[in-house]
Amino acid sequence: MSGMRSGLVEITDLLWPVDADGRRLPVRRDEVAGRLAGAGQRRAARIVSRMPATGGVLDPEYLDALGFRVHCELQRLGEELQLGRRVAALLEPLLARTGAVRVVDVGCGLGYVVRWLAATRPLGDLVELVGIDLNPVIVAEAARLAKAEDLDCRFERGDALAAVGAMKDGGRTIVISTGLLHHLPETDLPQFFAAQAGLGVTAFAHWDIVPCAWSTLGAWVFHQARMREAVSRHDGVMSARRSHSADVLLTAAQSGAPGYQIAVLETKWHPRALDVLRPVLGVRS
Amino acid sequence: MTALVAAALSVLALLDGAFAGFRASAGRTGLIDHRRADQLACLRGAVLVCVLLVPVVAIASTEVALNRPHLAVFTRAGEAMLAVYGPYGLVVLAALGCYTALGWRNRYLASAVILGPLTWLRPAVAVAGAILGGAVAVDPLVWACAGLAVAAVLAVEPLAGRLWYAPTRPPLAT
Repeated sequence: MSGMRSGLVEITDLLWPVDADGRRLPVRRDEVAGRLAGAGQRRAARIVSRMPATGGVLDPEYLDALGFRVHCELQRLGEELQLGRRVAALLEPLLARTGAVRVVDVGCGLGYVVRWLAATRPLGDLVELVGIDLNPVIVAEAARLAKAEDLDCRFERGDALAAVGAMKDGGRTIVISTGLLHHLPETDLPQFFAAQAGLGVTAFAHWDIVPCAWSTLGAWVFHQARMREAVSRHDGVMSARRSHSADVLLTAAQSGAPGYQIAVLETKWHPRALDVLRPVLGVRS
Repeated sequence: MTALVAAALSVLALLDGAFAGFRASAGRTGLIDHRRADQLACLRGAVLVCVLLVPVVAIASTEVALNRPHLAVFTRAGEAMLAVYGPYGLVVLAALGCYTALGWRNRYLASAVILGPLTWLRPAVAVAGAILGGAVAVDPLVWACAGLAVAAVLAVEPLAGRLWYAPTRPPLAT
């Protein structure tokens, strides 16, 4: 199967652009709707066209509130998929083997995995838990939620393609993500892995959806049944349709991080959707 | 028989209300520990469905009290509805049993393969049961009661969402 379906866009990829300093940029409704319509995603264009705007610019307060609601719904999906346990099951032996002391979740959104690890501590009390996301409002919300439950973890704003801030001591850091890779075009994947290799991280493990008809069908049914937001319903299915194949991920990781032993931990039997999300794992040689 | 049918439908309505309350609450706060909130949401859903079903129960009870032979018509309709809702409810409960029994790696399968699709089909199943009940009874009042009952059951989730889980707090500004 080929990699990401070229041209398909998720609505949430277009709603929260920020400049290099993390300041939010205005979002023109007609531009977003036009881009979605241009990609043949007319339903998505209609969803955006119904969003409130002033002078053609989407209402930033509405977008922030929408972002929070969408991420909360996404967290519910993560809970059903047992994302925290899946991550912990892989990281526990990896931490023991490599001596890493820090786990950094890039593109963490509301930081569900980081906060779950902080709440349940399956990796022990000494591992530092950090979440990074590009959206400053979501990062602030993640920090607020962690504080509300008195969780020992922190969140920073940063770009998944760089993410230097939290990884100054890369040699003792494991970088993870869940559901991030399909947001990156195939051409950017080597750079994504190269950024982590450049920091000399101990290991990386990035979970994403297995692309197949079953995962797309499952995503559609699940999002129709469970999600309230039209944006969530659209983007949930688009995520499955855009996800990268194991071959694409393997090639990109080997190209971007040549000093690492790479594997995509995907079962060979069908339907692969039973894996739900599987990681591409890289361990420094 | 009538009491049995009424009791079975009541239990199914209560369970459905509780699950609807849970769904209305789920994925709202972003907190990790939401067990108590889930329990409260189930309770709210169960209470709400009872309140919403009061008019149906009142109409049916009054009619049966005033027109005793009508009891058999309502019972027939109830049995027909139970023939649809009963198997649906049993499958849901079996899936919940699987969810509890399966290890964490495979637990989501109960949700992905059974609970998710059944939640998606739930409105159609609810309407199908009412249509079958009305069709078997061939009685305008039974049709009305079945329709009202289905409307009440389907209203629980959106109403609970509006009453208790509507997002009010704006996110932090940065």
